[in-house]
Amino acid sequence: MNVHGEMSDADVLRAASRSLSALPMASPPDVQSIMARGRARRRRRLSAAAGLSAAAAAGTVLALGLTGILGPSPARSTATIRTASFTLVSNANGTATLTINATELLDAAALQNDLQQYGIPAMVTSGSFCSSVPPPAGFSQVVSFYPRPTGSRTLVPPGTHPTVTFSPSAMPAGTELSFGVFQLSSGGQQADFMLINSSSYTCSSTLPGPPPDGAQFQIVRPGS
Amino acid sequence: MSDQQTEFADFFQASWEPCLRTVVAVVGGPQLAEDQVAEAFAKAWALWPKVRRHPAPRAWVVRTALNTGASWWRRRGREVLLADHDLAAPGDLDSGLDSGLLTAIWRLPIRQREVIALRIFLDLDTATIARQLGIEAGTVRMHLSRGVSALRHELTPTRNMEAGR
Repeated sequence: MNVHGEMSDADVLRAASRSLSALPMASPPDVQSIMARGRARRRRRLSAAAGLSAAAAAGTVLALGLTGILGPSPARSTATIRTASFTLVSNANGTATLTINATELLDAAALQNDLQQYGIPAMVTSGSFCSSVPPPAGFSQVVSFYPRPTGSRTLVPPGTHPTVTFSPSAMPAGTELSFGVFQLSSGGQQADFMLINSSSYTCSSTLPGPPPDGAQFQIVRPGS
Repeated sequence: MSDQQTEFADFFQASWEPCLRTVVAVVGGPQLAEDQVAEAFAKAWALWPKVRRHPAPRAWVVRTALNTGASWWRRRGREVLLADHDLAAPGDLDSGLDSGLLTAIWRLPIRQREVIALRIFLDLDTATIARQLGIEAGTVRMHLSRGVSALRHELTPTRNMEAGR
């Protein structure tokens, strides 16, 4: 308190700090998933720069040709698969991290094929979603997400590149991961995930509600 | 891990909480603040040779996180800012959490919140805050003074009631 009986500036800041510090905070995410997102961002930036350089050197006609090379065709290496709509990185601990470029429509067939290369049995569908009733247990051991799911549906703001980390060793025998992507009328995308029994599942093109033992994300389109 | 990876991992572990608390203090919604801070750390790793030489790398992360979410927050404004947050019940006061004070913080103009949060959680001096926010040191002092005055008002209700009689 000062001579007028008022709290000093330092006292006020200490009270504000105490109150804000008492808010519960989530523990930090896995640094490997953060670094995977950073690597994906760096590669996108370098690809864009390479495309711009080539266009500047060779003119518009060649630039149009490069779109086909740098776009949907995956650029592969031993540990990383990169396409226009996703990057899949193999981590040292046996997991794989998928980073989704939310501005591009996901190439479902390519992703399913690439996940299988990494030992992740998955059914990736665009405009439909496959589910088993009841779903096999173990979903939360098989996948982790960033942003972390909040309640039944998680809203992903524009500018965020969601990541999914898969642990293939945790998948129960006879199961697959179902991953359905829908284009929303708002321009955004919805992604649904759940485990299914390989021998018993149904697929529907109806936009699903939140899966009972899974996760649902809605990626907000910039400007919506 | 390479030396750079180890260095970044150490920075990330040590800086996650202060950066997140700073962004929560500014934007309110902890869930989206987490996403913004995670994205900012991913950008920091993508630019690590540059960010590691920055005079205040944590401030760089916070500034980047706030920029990432700025347009989204602007569109939703105060509605999300307050509605997205579970304010404490009175019983939480024992933990130091004062819901009235938190509400008062989140009702401050955004520049005042930024200046206060950068001072409290990143312990930045006036000149560094000014550089980070791209404003004059005198403007930082003005925002800090006005923000602190508003919070002092919230913290001294008895005195305010007496003055109002």
